[in-house]
Amino acid sequence: MSETTSNTQPQIIEQSNYWMSLEQAQGNPDFAKRAENEFLSSPYASSGQESGQDGFARREFLKYMGASLALATTACVRRPVQRIIPYAKAPLETTPGVSSFYASTWFDGVEGYGTLVRTLDGRPVKMEGNPSDPIGLGGLPVRAHAEVLSLYDPDRLKGPVRNLQNKNRTNHETISGQWADLDTKVQAELAKGSVAILSSTLPSPSAKAIIGDFAKVYPGTRWVQYDAMGNDAVREAARQSFGKAGTPRYRLMNANLVVTIDCDLLGTYGATVETMKAWSVRRKPGKDQLRLVTIESMMTLTGMNADDRIRIKPSQQLAVVEALAGAVASGKDVTLAGVDTVMLSKVATQLRAARGKALVVAGGLQTQTEDAVALQIAVNRLNSSLGSFGSTIDFDSASLTSEGSSSDLATLIADMNAGKIKTLIIHNTNPIFSLPADAGFAEAIGQVPTVISTSNFNDETATHANYVLPTGSTLESWSDYELQTGVFSIQQPTIRPLHESRSFEESLFTWTKAAKGAPARVASSEAWFNYVQGVWKTEILGRASEVRGKSFDEAWVHVLQTGIVTTGGDRNRAGGSRSVAAGAVAKTNRKEPMTGYELVLYPKIQIGDGRYANVAWMQELPDPVTKIVWDNYVSVSPATAEKEHLKLGDVVELQVGAQKLRAPVHIQVGQHDDVLALAIGYGRTRAGRVANNIGVNAMELASFGNGQPVLSGRAVSMKKTGEFYRLVSTQDHHVLEGSVAERQLIAETTNDLWMKNAGSGIHRHKIFSIWPSHTYSKHKWGMSIDLNSCTGCSACVVACQSENNIPVVGKRYIMDGREMHWLRIDRYYRGEVSNPEAIFQPMMCQHCENAPCETVCPVLATVHNDEGLNDMVYNRCVGTRYCSNNCPYKVRRFNWFNYAKNIEAPMHMALNPDVTVRTRGVMEKCTMCVHRIRQATRVGVEARKGGKLVDGSLKTACQESCPANAIVFGDLNDKDSAVAKLFANERTYAVLEDLNTAPRVRYMSRVRNTDKLGYTTGVLAHEAHEAGAHGGETEKDPSQHETPAHPGSEDRKHEEGTSKGEKATHGAFSDPMDAHKFLSNLVGEVRS
Amino acid sequence: MTKSVKVPGRIPAMGPLKQILFMIALLAMTSVFSGCEWGNIGYNKGYAPEQPIKFSHELHAGQYKVQCLYCHSSAERAAHSAVPSVNICMNCHLVVAGPDGKNNIQKVQEAYNNNAPIPWVKVHMLPDFVKFNHEAHVAKFGAPKACHKCHGPVESMETLYQYSNLSMGWCVNCHRQPENQAPVSCSTCHY
Repeated sequence: MSETTSNTQPQIIEQSNYWMSLEQAQGNPDFAKRAENEFLSSPYASSGQESGQDGFARREFLKYMGASLALATTACVRRPVQRIIPYAKAPLETTPGVSSFYASTWFDGVEGYGTLVRTLDGRPVKMEGNPSDPIGLGGLPVRAHAEVLSLYDPDRLKGPVRNLQNKNRTNHETISGQWADLDTKVQAELAKGSVAILSSTLPSPSAKAIIGDFAKVYPGTRWVQYDAMGNDAVREAARQSFGKAGTPRYRLMNANLVVTIDCDLLGTYGATVETMKAWSVRRKPGKDQLRLVTIESMMTLTGMNADDRIRIKPSQQLAVVEALAGAVASGKDVTLAGVDTVMLSKVATQLRAARGKALVVAGGLQTQTEDAVALQIAVNRLNSSLGSFGSTIDFDSASLTSEGSSSDLATLIADMNAGKIKTLIIHNTNPIFSLPADAGFAEAIGQVPTVISTSNFNDETATHANYVLPTGSTLESWSDYELQTGVFSIQQPTIRPLHESRSFEESLFTWTKAAKGAPARVASSEAWFNYVQGVWKTEILGRASEVRGKSFDEAWVHVLQTGIVTTGGDRNRAGGSRSVAAGAVAKTNRKEPMTGYELVLYPKIQIGDGRYANVAWMQELPDPVTKIVWDNYVSVSPATAEKEHLKLGDVVELQVGAQKLRAPVHIQVGQHDDVLALAIGYGRTRAGRVANNIGVNAMELASFGNGQPVLSGRAVSMKKTGEFYRLVSTQDHHVLEGSVAERQLIAETTNDLWMKNAGSGIHRHKIFSIWPSHTYSKHKWGMSIDLNSCTGCSACVVACQSENNIPVVGKRYIMDGREMHWLRIDRYYRGEVSNPEAIFQPMMCQHCENAPCETVCPVLATVHNDEGLNDMVYNRCVGTRYCSNNCPYKVRRFNWFNYAKNIEAPMHMALNPDVTVRTRGVMEKCTMCVHRIRQATRVGVEARKGGKLVDGSLKTACQESCPANAIVFGDLNDKDSAVAKLFANERTYAVLEDLNTAPRVRYMSRVRNTDKLGYTTGVLAHEAHEAGAHGGETEKDPSQHETPAHPGSEDRKHEEGTSKGEKATHGAFSDPMDAHKFLSNLVGEVRS
Repeated sequence: MTKSVKVPGRIPAMGPLKQILFMIALLAMTSVFSGCEWGNIGYNKGYAPEQPIKFSHELHAGQYKVQCLYCHSSAERAAHSAVPSVNICMNCHLVVAGPDGKNNIQKVQEAYNNNAPIPWVKVHMLPDFVKFNHEAHVAKFGAPKACHKCHGPVESMETLYQYSNLSMGWCVNCHRQPENQAPVSCSTCHY
């Protein structure tokens, strides 16, 4: 019974169903209206609304269609002559139409991973993760995919330019230049000395070497690193605590309890892919399941994945950590005003219990308050008392991706103002955009006689430079990285530079080589490539364990093939434990508690610091948390919105001190009532045609604090302006009808309940069909998606977009519900609006065996194939959209316009030639990457592998990119395949099972490591009730269930009999064949 | 283009029967003069365009018995059976000048020396939105046999022409033969 609830028994919370958005939770009629309409707008309405560019004259189109039909039938028309132009001298490694993969590295200044760049006919078309990379393990974050489109960005500079400026540095006239000419001019300037290089973190051995050599020939050169999303406080706190600055590597593999303090650990902080890979392993249900508690001010991806979540405001961060530390030390309850102390006390108790396997993390822009360093020292103390150092926090393989220092930058700015800098080289950073105005960088840059910007765009900072030298994409040049201590990876060019660009390092190399007295290794290197090779030969390969005993040539081939070598030894060994120096005391700057609104600035997972803002994929990707596209906005809590009479899209004016900024409002559930949150990276003015004037620049509200940046926790006031701005979100698009819990779109349970019953939280419908099921003699494709691993990061969405030539439609058409993403991520909330639980569900074509779309297509354009895929035949489709209307999962997308026509050269080079570029008027949807299936299963390949497809060798694009290994694809006819085993797992269920669509995409229930789960209806309430009534006595023999003795191993063994028996009692038929047998038996019984 | 559309509109004086007869006559004449067969409308069967270099398959594949895959090597490795790059030609033509084809061979050598690709005219054009994989077919039937099925007796073609009509019906006809055990689902070729 529920009154007997104790810590181990689930506590039933009254009130609970899932809701997708605040509108739905509040019963807004707009939501119901939108849910009813598959298509949010009528084509008649939209063609009548606007003329010009968007007004497609439909009648005109029909007229021409009639004309061409007449032509085609009355005359025998030869198609126009086409040419085949083969190479004159074919390069050895290319075969037309066959992809080559180059091991390389992607690094965007915040995080980086090994990649395999897929190139086809000499052009890179897709970024894929490198499984040999010990950090990313083959996963890639959202932004990595942007690199391809960024390479083909038509707004890129085509060659070096000079900005001619008057004395005030305001009048710009840009003229193009020649490399040879500009090199001479630049070298003359460099020879004057007092050179400063300002870059974002460059964790590259070769770059460091060439900067060192450059400084030798141009004495007095200094190098300052600065990151817009820097970790200054973490580094400074490490210096004070342990004597050496550094950013640790977090090892979730060793953690049983993770507590984050305003830190988006899964979304934007640190090596998120490494974190998520470990997360996916440690989240497997069972005794050792990792538990995540998030204490945060705004809703982040981490908070949405948390088992329990506590709301605080930024000014409480330090107090909370100190209170936790006090409670951990004393074992007493936490006392702290304004915070959920019940939960906090529980967390403290659990931290005590998890000693040695606990991790407390604070970090990211949300923690960059006045007391950022104090907070980090307090966190270090807490972690030290918990024994986390060496176990869950590792300084031996420290992260090297954020070495930037704002205080160094402050010194540089002072020197620039003092006229001490004669030449400033700015690389890979955009300080005019990303620094708060009070840093005074714009004024200081005017004091430097010569400014050189190595940037691909004449962007906000580059317009202040005299010379803008495009560096090209990282896909066009040689470089290397050491992203974590001892992990060395190579960056290979995958295409000849498209334009007249030259990498930053190569420019330094050129200038060094041309100078008198160039160091021997520069003088002896013919080109930059030879220099990189030389650095690897002398500094890296000798230490690398993978190539020990090999000659240089062999070792170099190994590097090019695998992309990675390591020198640090076993990365999984225990690190050295540390204790915080006694002198390191958390000194607070703010004395009295804050009242009123507090500002929080944060990065979005897809935009980051704004460097990929001009990539339309990033702008169009619905934000994982808010689902808003193409904008940033001020997030406020529902209670605050009510208090201030704010509605979605109301423009407010924020004021911090004298700094003012206008932005539209978004109402974010789960946010602290005193917090106003705004994303950085938006409001670019000179990024390119995609990003210019999208959103506002949040940095206008931040303070540089003379080298101690304060981005969050500043007192802010908000004033309603009366203006309205349309924010577009996809959250209420493509809503599955009916109650989420009743129809079981989502299945959730708690770890305790799961340990009693592995099928917990899932109601199995008694389904049978009077028709025999389909038979699949060869392959039978299936996909399993584990909701327990999925963090909602959306990397799969962009991977799919890149792989399948999915067009970008723009904000206006998303407003009409016309987004084209084949794969969307549904986000559901449950519980209190003030602090709800959230769950993500990737949703794409379910490839139903009994597909509702197939029966309604009048032209047989969507049909079932003999491998169980729901085929979409574009050239049969006439665009009736019946299929879309009949799809209960709402996964079909219609091409309202000829989007491909808008693709501007050279962006068409990013298209994947293996996938048809769809035209206007046809329906499209997830194909389960059928082109990859065809590649992997075509006659020749299968024969070579002994007639059998090797499980795991065929991956879909979404699966490949997934940082959490949540997606598994394979052949269900192969009983040993990973996906077949997962389909047999008791956590697996089908969405809308009661419709008997028999989908080929199955989901695995989410198992939360918490003791509260809000269910009043459905199976789980019943189970909880049972558990409460019988207590521990009903606990079955755990051996009957999958006991995760080894968390992480996916192939847990079932006892065949037990699982069958379980199913029978649930009355479930996961396979229509079972239903058929059941029916036959039934008929037999009746007869007898 | 637009002229022929207007044809029916320009004969208002005729009665309905006459109009129909006129249309039939027009179609018949079009087919006679353009040389296309009924049932083959829109396909290029028999298409034998003039190539920038008069390359004779009859000479190379017929008389000298050069294997198909020697030049079109990607047919067994890739979806495309690529026209060979000039350096493949030069494997032989570095030493073989040829008796009467000096002019043509000279063009090949010039292309190689100048690193200037030869713009061959495409003969076999599949309908749009369909994908064909050479590798699968070559792996299944072996090189000359698989080639002959679709491309015909190439070794006897002085000028290469399109042997089959490459229509979907023609593809599916083969795929449907039980002994071929070939898939006939849409996504075999359309994706």
